[in-house]
Amino acid sequence: MNTMAPTAVPRWKTALNMIINPGEVVKNQMTKFPWPYSLMISGLSFSLFFLQTGLDLMRTGQIEIASVILMTLLGLIYGTAGIALLAVLVWALSQAAERNITMEWTVSSFALGYSPTFVYALTGLIFSLAFGWRTAVAFWVTGLLWALRPTLFTIKQMSGERVGFSIAMTTLCGAILLSGWALLGKFGL
Amino acid sequence: MEMRLGYSDSAGPEKVKFWPVYLCFLIFGIIAPFSKPEFNLTTLLLSLFVSLLVGALMVNLLIMLFNAGNSDLRQASSQFAREAVSTGMLFMIPFAILAILAQFILGWNAVMPFASAAIMTTAATAGTEVMKKGAPGIKNVLIPTTLAFVLSTGWMMLIGILP
Repeated sequence: MNTMAPTAVPRWKTALNMIINPGEVVKNQMTKFPWPYSLMISGLSFSLFFLQTGLDLMRTGQIEIASVILMTLLGLIYGTAGIALLAVLVWALSQAAERNITMEWTVSSFALGYSPTFVYALTGLIFSLAFGWRTAVAFWVTGLLWALRPTLFTIKQMSGERVGFSIAMTTLCGAILLSGWALLGKFGL
Repeated sequence: MEMRLGYSDSAGPEKVKFWPVYLCFLIFGIIAPFSKPEFNLTTLLLSLFVSLLVGALMVNLLIMLFNAGNSDLRQASSQFAREAVSTGMLFMIPFAILAILAQFILGWNAVMPFASAAIMTTAATAGTEVMKKGAPGIKNVLIPTTLAFVLSTGWMMLIGILP
């Protein structure tokens, strides 16, 4: 008799694996990963970055502390509701339902893809607070770009390994996120 | 039966295309001089040369590394490394397009973070492609990423010292 039960992978390890080997996580581990935890990671990543953007603008005297708090909250909304909406959009476009891929799985996988962004967000915040550096552009752009790889593997899985479609959708997602952040900066929030 | 000498599987060399990869390096080479205070032709030509050189090094060193580290796969299919590198590095395309968006539409002078992230993530993706073909171990992801890190650092430094 086999008494060995399959060991559950800790959630932090799954999040870390999403940075190193997203293909494996998307294929085998995402079904066991609850979507609220994933959204917590993307929400935290975005709110920390928007906080850094606010701090950068406050240091140059463009905004007050109240606007910094408002920006952080906007980041939280962008990283949760925004990412969920983007995931649903790609889910619909890729006709993932035909491959028995649920909306919950898609939102969870998309959001967990921002694990590398979270690492950059934390590092950026440390540099911003400890040394007073203006970290928003350098760390945010790099962090967001590193999230493209998990996004790509998620879309590949959803679209039935269609490479061209995955590349086009990943580009669209990256463009929406970069432009959205740039627009907020232009409004001087 | 038709025999194709030098190829142990049915996929011939014509299936492996690298031109999209080199096109991405070319795009980064074209954009880089625009992030300088003054644009000039010499910088553009030097930037194009450096970018294509980094591209050629990246592609060929990755193929060499994969071939050297996966002799079993190489015996089964002589083209596995070329296929993995061409498929993996195809994912430079989103980075190149986003770099164009950032430079010319959003007005950010930040092309090199895009280039650096592009080659590091796509080198890792090429490693994942090798693992998908049956190669064991995470070394196929970590070693290419390290190589890409070294090359991207060199690339950034060279672009930085261009006139």
